[in-house]
Amino acid sequence: MDNKRGLGFYIHLYKIILTQDLKSKMSYRADFIISTIGMVFTNVSGFITFWILFQNFPSIAGWNYYEMLFLYGFSLLALTPVQCFFDNNWNLRSHIYTGDFIKYCLRPINLFFYYMSEVFDMKGIGQFFFGTGTLYYAWNKLGIPFTLKNLILLIISFISASLFMIALMNLAAATNFWLMGSTFVMIFAFKFKDYARYPVKIFSRVFRFIFTFIIPIAFVAYYPSLFFLKPDEIPPLTYLSPFLGMIFFYISYKVWMKGALSYSGTGS
Amino acid sequence: MDSIIKIDHITKEFKTLNRRVGLKGSFLDLFSRDYKVLKAVNDISMEIKQGEIVGYLGPNGAGKSTTIKMMTGVLEPTCGEILVNGRVPYKNRAKNSENIGVVFGQRSQLWWALPAIESFRILKEIYRIDDKTYKDNLEYFDALVGASDLYYKTVRQMSLGQRTLCDILASFLHNPSVVFLDEPTIGLDVSMKGKIRELIKVLNHERGTTVILTTHDMGDVDALCNRIVIIDKGTILYDNHIENLRKYFGAYRTIRFMFNKHGASKENETVENTMMEIDTLLKEEFSGAKSLSVGMDEKWIDVLLNEDEVPMMKIINCIQERKKIVDMTLQEISTESVIKKIYEGGLE
Amino acid sequence: MTNKKSFTLNKYFSLTKGSIMESLSFRFSMLITVIGNLIYLIVIYYLWKAIYASSSSEVVNGMTFHDTMIYLVLALALFNFMECFIVWSIGRNFQTGQIALELIKPMDYQVFCFFANSGQYLISFFTTFLPTLIIVYLITKGGFALSINLIYFILSVILAIVINFCVDFFVGVICFYTESVWGVNIMKEVVVALLSGASIPLAFFPDRLRTIVNFLPFQAIYNSPLKILIDKSLETKDYITIIGFQIFWVAIMILISRIFWNVSKRIITVNGG
Repeated sequence: MDNKRGLGFYIHLYKIILTQDLKSKMSYRADFIISTIGMVFTNVSGFITFWILFQNFPSIAGWNYYEMLFLYGFSLLALTPVQCFFDNNWNLRSHIYTGDFIKYCLRPINLFFYYMSEVFDMKGIGQFFFGTGTLYYAWNKLGIPFTLKNLILLIISFISASLFMIALMNLAAATNFWLMGSTFVMIFAFKFKDYARYPVKIFSRVFRFIFTFIIPIAFVAYYPSLFFLKPDEIPPLTYLSPFLGMIFFYISYKVWMKGALSYSGTGS
Repeated sequence: MDSIIKIDHITKEFKTLNRRVGLKGSFLDLFSRDYKVLKAVNDISMEIKQGEIVGYLGPNGAGKSTTIKMMTGVLEPTCGEILVNGRVPYKNRAKNSENIGVVFGQRSQLWWALPAIESFRILKEIYRIDDKTYKDNLEYFDALVGASDLYYKTVRQMSLGQRTLCDILASFLHNPSVVFLDEPTIGLDVSMKGKIRELIKVLNHERGTTVILTTHDMGDVDALCNRIVIIDKGTILYDNHIENLRKYFGAYRTIRFMFNKHGASKENETVENTMMEIDTLLKEEFSGAKSLSVGMDEKWIDVLLNEDEVPMMKIINCIQERKKIVDMTLQEISTESVIKKIYEGGLE
Repeated sequence: MTNKKSFTLNKYFSLTKGSIMESLSFRFSMLITVIGNLIYLIVIYYLWKAIYASSSSEVVNGMTFHDTMIYLVLALALFNFMECFIVWSIGRNFQTGQIALELIKPMDYQVFCFFANSGQYLISFFTTFLPTLIIVYLITKGGFALSINLIYFILSVILAIVINFCVDFFVGVICFYTESVWGVNIMKEVVVALLSGASIPLAFFPDRLRTIVNFLPFQAIYNSPLKILIDKSLETKDYITIIGFQIFWVAIMILISRIFWNVSKRIITVNGG
């Protein structure tokens, strides 16, 4: 037995804890199906909204229907990891309220990892497929070439984009450690996912700055999508997004951990 | 034997926010630094040796769970030092957790929707228990309490006692050197309490595991602990061998009697009259028993006696010969009443 | 007899008071909610500005940018005002078995739900809807008419609340059959937001879609009251037509939700709560 718990150990453990969660969820199959349909409903309604808008207007700020759909599909994909793997953030309030949170602090593994690994939210899968479909459709209509380079770019930008929303939700959830019952902060933060689907260009300078550097939702779809949609005018921020994503995620992780440890003392 | 836990003059302060009223107030609270300092634990020291069972007692809010949280590494002391297995817990929380086990009565750490064995399997991975140790432990547990009947039952469907039992087994699964049990018998019936006490005793004895136990039930202490530490208002009030404390609760018993629905022995009598009647009766019969006293609580009449002076059965027989007893219970002695007596008796 | 009646009403009004108190204790959350709404408004402002900037004409489907903004701002205010969590409370009450206890109370469960939420309605009317209405009116310097239509508007809003409540109640009872509250609730929210014209004004819908939507109850929740408030070209008979349609939907929805409730009530007794 080596002493350091490495990546291999955590991947192995994640698989095991996840399997247990899926096993126990099998007893709620109807809930899973209905929730997945509900998830797809929200995605379809976003789609219909675009469709209705483009029935009336040919383009929005120089972005045509398919480009907007690309952005929408990409944002849905980038929102899947936060939905699937970090959904336990939403239960933080009740874990803290009942005092059950302490149990996560007593195991010889990373606290954040252990807490998040306990819940896998399956309804994100519906969103994943709907997002992929939308992206594929838009990709085809826009005639973007299917090359290996583009595929790799897509995967990198998908991962870095998803980090931003994960980090945002971690920070929002971490407020629970300091404010009792602050689900409303999470609801507040979660709404921003809907704004990620618009090109940030439509906003004024001030809000472009806010949505880029303060609440960085422009990185959830806009900046990464520019790789594919406007390859002639890629701004430096697009190239930086993987690094910014990692930094933002790391900050959110640190804040979350600090909150967790400072809380678990006070709650009885 | 060496000390496994060393606590050296630790203090833990909590800052609590002085909350303001109104919308503006709650907004200001977000930025304000207006704190009140509360000392949950105030300069305590103790050493615990390998293999001891220590009863860690005290009323609610005395600082028990704060101390335990510091020993488990969840909480960092404001000042002072703790060593568990030679490590500073809060600096090596994860590493420290490998060698300890923690159980909170009424708060299961097992996976609710799964059979216990599945939880054990996850713990096997988390603690990286090798196959042989894991298998041996499961068999050993089965031999001890017949646990295999429970292995395949979903935790959600277990009774509180069964769940606590599984939680305790889970905490011993990785052969920890110290196990913290926070009120393990709370809410359990008498037979289950006995079973759990027996389990803890055997595990401590055969494995040499150090056990730190908090409880409100003197029965747990009596059955398990050699040493008791009593904490109140953040400071240690008592830390000694249990024998020194036994005179405060050991031979004392409280029996509660009810004579009819209204508490009195006859329709036209009040409970008070009955109490006086019993009091004079017992004083006459057992004049040698100095500590015998009679009290009342609503419909109940309580008789406190010292078994060293007079056997309990004699008292019951004596009363029964004269009055019809409708109901009767033996009161358990709570740690609170012992602490109260320590205060009153000025024990050193 | 009158005495008895007022006593019955008091019983319900005490529920109103209770829910007001509960609401007030979440003042901080309201502050965050207001900021959230402001950001939403900013986003849709820039979005629609960009949309209209890309259009060749200033008027699209009879609506200028100005009209669209007034419509969307008031739709949001109306949405916040009428938002209730009845699906959640019924669904959760059912899952925990609490609902069996509610049934024992000497009140009609549907009426009970309505009044238990009425405090919420009152609070949000004064804290969100009215201020928004006044601010919008001042900023747009009379972007909508304030005259006799106000009376029709208030009437229309009350009818909209009842329709919205019945939809929620109906969907809440669906949870008896599905064991999923989240999924059912999100579907309702999406359908209502889209088909009621809360996210895009119905005027923008393609003709065929709009015809279908006009035959559904959802447009009577947001579109009808907003139309009465904003559309200056309406005459008395138009007001009466709109309200007549709403009354029709109120009757239908109450009927349907009550029948559905009475049929589904048996599940509670079968399950033993």
